[in-house]
Amino acid sequence: MDLIHPSSKADLVEAVREANLTATRLLVVGGRRHIDRGNPSEVDAELWTTQLDRLVSYEPSEMIAVVEAGMRIGTLDRLLAEGGQEWPSDAPEDATVGGVIASGASSARRLRMGPLRDTVLEAEVVTGDGRLVRSGARTVKNVTGYDLHKLVAGSLGTLGVIAQVALKVRPLPRARRTLRFEGDLGLARTLVDAVPSAAAVLATPGGVELRQEGWPEEVEEETGLASSISTPVAAADDGPFPSSAPWDAKPVVAEVAVAPSRLDAALTGEATWGALAGVGIAWVGLGDADGGLDGLRERVRAAGGIAPAVKGPGGLGDEPVAAAGVHRRIKEAFDPNETLAPGRGWAA
Amino acid sequence: MVTDVEAARRALEEALGTPEVLSDPLALRLYARDASMVEGGCALVVFPRSVDDVAACVRIAAEHGLPVVPRGSGTGLAGGSTPLGDSLVVVTTKMTRILEIRPEDRLAWVEPGVPNLDLANTLRPHGFTFAPDPSSQQTSSIGGNVSTNAGGPHCLAYGVTSNHVLALDVVLPDGSLERLGSEAPQAAGYDLRSVVVGGEGTLGVVAAVCVRLTPLPAAVRTSLFDFETVEDCAATVTDVIASGVVPAAVEMMDRGIVVAAERFAHAGYPTDAAAILIVEVDGTSASVEAQSRVVEAAARANRVRHVRVAADEAERALIWKGRKSAFGAVAQIAPHYHLHDCVVPRTKLVEVLTGVYAIAKRHDLIVTNVFHAGDGNLHPLLSFDRRKPGTLERVLAASEEIVRLCVDAGGALSGEHGIGLEKRDFMPLMFSAEDLSAQACVRTAFDPDGRMNPSKVLPDGARCGDFAVARGDDVSRVAEELPEGAWI
Repeated sequence: MDLIHPSSKADLVEAVREANLTATRLLVVGGRRHIDRGNPSEVDAELWTTQLDRLVSYEPSEMIAVVEAGMRIGTLDRLLAEGGQEWPSDAPEDATVGGVIASGASSARRLRMGPLRDTVLEAEVVTGDGRLVRSGARTVKNVTGYDLHKLVAGSLGTLGVIAQVALKVRPLPRARRTLRFEGDLGLARTLVDAVPSAAAVLATPGGVELRQEGWPEEVEEETGLASSISTPVAAADDGPFPSSAPWDAKPVVAEVAVAPSRLDAALTGEATWGALAGVGIAWVGLGDADGGLDGLRERVRAAGGIAPAVKGPGGLGDEPVAAAGVHRRIKEAFDPNETLAPGRGWAA
Repeated sequence: MVTDVEAARRALEEALGTPEVLSDPLALRLYARDASMVEGGCALVVFPRSVDDVAACVRIAAEHGLPVVPRGSGTGLAGGSTPLGDSLVVVTTKMTRILEIRPEDRLAWVEPGVPNLDLANTLRPHGFTFAPDPSSQQTSSIGGNVSTNAGGPHCLAYGVTSNHVLALDVVLPDGSLERLGSEAPQAAGYDLRSVVVGGEGTLGVVAAVCVRLTPLPAAVRTSLFDFETVEDCAATVTDVIASGVVPAAVEMMDRGIVVAAERFAHAGYPTDAAAILIVEVDGTSASVEAQSRVVEAAARANRVRHVRVAADEAERALIWKGRKSAFGAVAQIAPHYHLHDCVVPRTKLVEVLTGVYAIAKRHDLIVTNVFHAGDGNLHPLLSFDRRKPGTLERVLAASEEIVRLCVDAGGALSGEHGIGLEKRDFMPLMFSAEDLSAQACVRTAFDPDGRMNPSKVLPDGARCGDFAVARGDDVSRVAEELPEGAWI
């Protein structure tokens, strides 16, 4: 397998053009932390983005950071922390910004933070046929033209290579607390309603974790609201969230996405999972891709959702895409020679 | 294809019923414009009442060669729903049902013609709201909000319309109905929903919208701060954001607009202040207290004259009434206005405002400013009487200078109104030929035959795979570029 490791945007453009001329099929690789997402794809070379890792601009009072897409999450976290801010990706330190965006990864705190794609304000993308194009602007609001940067988010590197992004960042919370409860998804839902400003309510077979973030007095107030519903069995200030993720230890992890009220139906019979109440995302750990994943997908499909594998084999699943013709024409326009990971994206 | 208006009219009357199809001269004149300065023309106006009706309209238009122009309440300010030529205007104002409210999934399905404020009022008893709240919210429709990715004061903390739309049922230009996005937090395939939001009706007709419900905050505090100088007022905004507080809303009004709004709304605004700030913080009661302390400290550090905290819901509503009716109130200044919508980096607010005042002075025009300061979203408003010879020319010249000033400061052409016809030819100020071509590719993927709302958003030269417009090309004024029959 060939390896291409550009160190500038110009190099990147050149590499993608060259690949088109030589019919070299490319897999775009960042930190390799979300590489299992997507369908199997046969490629000739890997295109690494990790040398495109510069900070372009960061002004804390603008709450916008412009970075090259190969920057590691750990580096970005440290840079932003100096300005008292964060980009709430909740991704591993060695993942890249571009990888997190392209894979459509969900933050564990999505209840409060929203989907990460909403934080991408501007992007420079090298299309599959080697054109460097920009969309969006470095402002928090903008309706100027079509939002290519939103299309590229979650596209699994099948439309273009994300070279640079402007991210909407947010103030770091002054206080963080995780409360643990004995209970199930039913309790988790009640907590979402009782503490609407919670950062996350995670249900697992072992209990429920409520994550609070904000002002110290706000966290105290929320603790009171939550405790009036159920008595916490443990409380920890700061510390990681989730406190543990046993599903990650399994060989296969599927990321379930259903309407929040359908989580119970989707997870029936599963043993190792964590579900974000009020959001409708659940990570399910499975022994292997065969058998277990099929059964899970059948239940999730019945609940109106999808369950792509995010770790191990298993691919995206075979749910049909909407507006398949539009989908195909977009792919053809941006990657006419099928240079970028043929077959990796959702089949249309 | 030969356009056959008469055949289209007969087919539409058969499909939707005669009363839902208008073709008399008065109706065609009425629907030839939106709330912008651009006037166009159309061949037929039709009022669908269901998703099937919308699909029928799009199909019939295609069969008879008519372009389709989707339209909600017509409050758009950029000419996005101004029809041109032999268009079929598809008006969604008779699709006003709230179809389903599902608090357990934090979502609701609504028809596109539902007025924004009606939705918010319907959700309130359930403990929720629809966060985008454009100033036009009493009138503007959810479908229109979707098409312009509308904002509003509370988008500072809650995000724009795109952040609040889970799924859309869209009639594509070929007449097929597709659900883009999902009730689930992720859907299979590319996120086509995210480009239809803000697509200004060029990618399809939105026939139903699945909105995300936002829980109402437990506590809210609305305060009014007034300042001796515009600089102090703007510096307060920057300092609040820099201190790590993101209020629900931070709205700034300069003296000209304060005077006009006060005469209309009697909100008790201080008419002798150079500028006022309306700041709303919300959350738990503890969080409201904590945020208020920071905001008030920032205002005091910038020499605030008075701080007025709304004592109750009635006073809060009154403070907001002045802000939200400001654009109507300017009718006292002059009969016509041209409202801008550019966004600039928050740290450039003072610099750009100073430039805006200088431009207006140079062109002998009255400019007032009321805007979403927290977002850097400026709304310079030029007041004038276009019946006076030469005035419109001065307005257009000043407008172009204002737009260039904002873009040069690192800003964007539009924060929430859209590009439509009015700003279409300014697009090369922000984007290269390649950028625009890539955008055209997205549009062509939805609408290969160019049937949907043609001539909007992208300048004429921008085509998928065709770099006809070069960055830095001369930007001619819209008035000179508009197709025959349209006038500004």
